[in-house]
Amino acid sequence: MTHDETANTPHHAPERHAAPMVEEVTDFEVLEIALRELAIEKGLFTAEDHRHYTEFVEQIGPAPGSRLVAKAWVDPDFKQLVLRDAIAASREVGIDWLHPTGFGTPSDFTALEVLENTPTLHHVIVCTLCSCYPRPLLGNSPEWYRTPNYRRRIVRWPRQVLGEFGLFLPDDVEIRVEDSNSKRRFLVLPVRPAGTDGWTEDQLAEIVTRDCMIGVALPKPGVTTNAPRPTHPAVRPAGAY
Amino acid sequence: MANNSMGDFVSQLRPALHRLQDWPYPDQIDHTLFAAFMKNPHDVGGDPDAPAIFEEKEEEAWELNTFVTCEVLGWRGIWTSEERRRLGNVDVGRTLYHGFPYYGRWVWAIARCLVEKDHITLRELLERVEEVRARVAGGAADALSAVPRSVGDPKAVPRNRHHIEAVGKGDPQRFAGQAGSPRFAVGDRVRVRDLPTIFYTRTQEYLRGKPGTIAEVSYESLVPEDEAFDREEQKPQWFYIVRFNMTDVWEPYAGADSDTLQAEISELWLHPLD
Repeated sequence: MTHDETANTPHHAPERHAAPMVEEVTDFEVLEIALRELAIEKGLFTAEDHRHYTEFVEQIGPAPGSRLVAKAWVDPDFKQLVLRDAIAASREVGIDWLHPTGFGTPSDFTALEVLENTPTLHHVIVCTLCSCYPRPLLGNSPEWYRTPNYRRRIVRWPRQVLGEFGLFLPDDVEIRVEDSNSKRRFLVLPVRPAGTDGWTEDQLAEIVTRDCMIGVALPKPGVTTNAPRPTHPAVRPAGAY
Repeated sequence: MANNSMGDFVSQLRPALHRLQDWPYPDQIDHTLFAAFMKNPHDVGGDPDAPAIFEEKEEEAWELNTFVTCEVLGWRGIWTSEERRRLGNVDVGRTLYHGFPYYGRWVWAIARCLVEKDHITLRELLERVEEVRARVAGGAADALSAVPRSVGDPKAVPRNRHHIEAVGKGDPQRFAGQAGSPRFAVGDRVRVRDLPTIFYTRTQEYLRGKPGTIAEVSYESLVPEDEAFDREEQKPQWFYIVRFNMTDVWEPYAGADSDTLQAEISELWLHPLD
């Protein structure tokens, strides 16, 4: 396959797999159903609990993060709030980190810190131990962020890995890798790029992609999506998600 | 193969010396080998690997259901996410850690928790899995739905204190004021302790013994070594953001001399720099 063909197409390449792709119902699906049935029968939680939380998960995404960054670019007082109390700042873009349980999402906690880039400091985020990610502001993590490969290499060869993402930074820019191994969650506040003078918050938010807020890309006028990558398709995809 | 550029198997043909082991004698396991065996499978930071093709993935319906179940179990006080991490990222063992898909370990963790905390018996699980399998093999359109036979009494279920006491406060905020005074202050030079790794840790081995500087006094919380085992009665500790020079962490380091790394570490794991 040429490089072009692999870069933008779904991953339909059976000859690249050691074992046949599983088309039938997987053991994981069966186990998930068995466990959910038993959990409800034992009173651990209700079907309504599961539905309610599903609705919450289906609506999270990176838009609030983009709005937070755009607003910080436009409003210096808001930027100070973002840096001082990111949870409070999140409320101003419509995200309450205590939702939907009243004490936060069990996996994302309520300790957000926004990492400010400068012309001489670039942050990139990882969770080497699992895949900790600021879901209430960014939605669910991308597949590559969860992989052992990214987690192994970004903390030791950050410039090389960022180069694979197309991001090359000069040596006079300090790269700071933030390994989120505890309860704090992180989000990168990139430097506002040149060529955006007079832009509205909406216009600015459009160029603040998820990849910019992880730190593997820089915001650029005209670039409103993450770089295209191969996408492994689901056999029975989640619906609205 | 997902997540790396090594789907080209021809390029992976090379001689390898495999030492098959069934039960070595104790005198054959030195400290290095012991540490290698005991290293938590999730602790991969700094392990060598090849450049990868970074991919996205479309989420399966069962994966979303699994994620939601895990979070709902936390919401309703059956476990904390740290217990889930211990079960699904470490207790699964190295073979499943690398051999299973990501959410396969999350569903394994649910099963293990429910059995170990006596919410279900293993027998009940086996019988139900077999039943669901048979239902699915029957091929009915709704075979992949969860169909509980009854609704259990929620009041009869033992649950943690956390899911009640944290409401309105958040986590880690609910631990505020419980860890006394922080031992360290911003600017202090510290060294990460090299405590033994037994069962579970969130202090990465690539940072053990490394010198750093306190960048932030972070928050108070149960340490993961306690929280992962549902030890709510244990005393919380202060956590710190510690900043490291990359050149202190890696030898050699193939980047700029000014590059840094930060991690969030509990007081348990820090000593003042000698």
